[in-house]
Amino acid sequence: MVIGLTSRDLKNQTNTVLINIIAFSGIVILVLLTSFIVKESLPALTNVGAELFTSQYWYPTDTNNPEFGMLALLVGSLYITGLTSLFVIPLGYIVAFFLYEYAGEKEIKFIKSGIDLLSGVPSVVIGAFMLVYVSPLFLEVGIYSPENILLAALGLTILSLPYTASLMQEALSSVDRSLKEGALALGSTKFTAGFKVVTRAALSGILNAVILTVNRVIGETMVVLMAAGGAAIIPQSLTDPARPLTAVIASEMGEVAAGSMHYSSLFVAGLILLVISFGMTLIARVIIQRYKHG
Amino acid sequence: MILAIALMSFSATMAIKGSNTVFPVAQLWIEELEEKYPDLQITLEGAGSSTGIAALFNGTADIANTSRWMKESEISKMHEDGSYFIPFVVAYDGIALIVNKELGIDNITTKQLKNIYTGKAKRWSQVDPNLPNKPIIFYTRNTASGTYETFSKKILGDDRMDPRARMVESTQLEMESVSKNPYAIAYVGYGYVNDKVKVLDLNGVTPTLDSILTSEYFLSRPLFMWVDATDGFPNTGDVKKYITFGLSEKGQELVEEAGYVAAYGQ
Repeated sequence: MVIGLTSRDLKNQTNTVLINIIAFSGIVILVLLTSFIVKESLPALTNVGAELFTSQYWYPTDTNNPEFGMLALLVGSLYITGLTSLFVIPLGYIVAFFLYEYAGEKEIKFIKSGIDLLSGVPSVVIGAFMLVYVSPLFLEVGIYSPENILLAALGLTILSLPYTASLMQEALSSVDRSLKEGALALGSTKFTAGFKVVTRAALSGILNAVILTVNRVIGETMVVLMAAGGAAIIPQSLTDPARPLTAVIASEMGEVAAGSMHYSSLFVAGLILLVISFGMTLIARVIIQRYKHG
Repeated sequence: MILAIALMSFSATMAIKGSNTVFPVAQLWIEELEEKYPDLQITLEGAGSSTGIAALFNGTADIANTSRWMKESEISKMHEDGSYFIPFVVAYDGIALIVNKELGIDNITTKQLKNIYTGKAKRWSQVDPNLPNKPIIFYTRNTASGTYETFSKKILGDDRMDPRARMVESTQLEMESVSKNPYAIAYVGYGYVNDKVKVLDLNGVTPTLDSILTSEYFLSRPLFMWVDATDGFPNTGDVKKYITFGLSEKGQELVEEAGYVAAYGQ
């Protein structure tokens, strides 16, 4: 009996330790990754300094006079992310709202499996699709800059719509049914009950969905590498090209000499993205806390 | 057991990396060689000349294809590392300037080309008053590309390329864009040219096999394959088999099949 008990204890303890190790490994990886990126970007941050953020000229391979300005790249990233958010957040909300409020069982099944399928499409396929089928449409209407921030934003919208819609639908569904039923019993229409009562109650979840979407969009690489046009300028219009930070990292990391200033400044690009993502997550946390207590 | 098989197949695989321009040549050679030696396993990757040299340095490639000579930084790294890479000239290539077939231009000068790529000429009418008053959409390969290196060195000199240049990751993408966009211009390896686009004369010289081999065409250059000879010349083995075949009559025939100019046997 005594032996049986200890072996059970042992089993339990081993399992606990294993689960703990695996659970913490995620955090360890995050810490390692962050310290790695910081360490590699230090040479550029100390040697190049403010030029990284104030200059818009990205000429890292210029042999006589290299320049490492990331302003245009950063602005490109932000423009495309902003534009995509403008498209995908309302669209995602409408899809989620329809699924929550109006769709019958068959429609839910149909739309849900459509969303699932769409979320499985690799970003490189979406990039190629935008390039081959959508960008020639610009030429037909007399816009001779067929790879541009609008094209990239449309591609990113297709890519992130399933994600946004599912997150928002989850947020709506997590609201207690009694709220909606109460609103309906008081005579409000389906739309008012959903839009004014349930959405307000689900606001923290929806904002969380928004932030997760933005986070995902700003880090996306393949679509912007293929469709954004690849010119490192600050875009002045929707049909101007751009070269976002992620595209630069993907395009140049493979050729760069390890330890060079170019190499280090690519890590600064990664650090910028990391800081943005970290900041967004922090904001999401604060919002959720505030709405929970308020 | 599985590990052993994995190791064996790994050690038997020869890796070739580098220039997109040299890629079609290497591809044809590999096809022919694998028929000749069924045991030979070769992987080929085209990601730009710099990528190939970088892979030779860190040992992830046995042969680096480049469409340019070594950069100074690479030569000094070689000295620092104590390594010694040797080049084989495998072919000659011209960088062809391509525009859409509808654009009414047949010849361009190096000066006009420089004006376009440094951003001085923003509209086609500024290049030639007979051309339409439309924006010039100019494409360039990314900085890892040897074609980019050669082009910027020979055309731009010390001047910088205008940041509005569209950097794309592959030559196919440039071809695709120019064939569709009536106001686009791009530069590609001569071997990639097809009849969907128009090739411009440069300073009145048409890029042909002859004008490229004699370098009468300004944008011509040799194509290289680099081999690590730090521990002596590779007298035996897969690398040697590959190079010997490439420089043979058949190998040079395949160079022409790929659309380039054979370096030997003329």
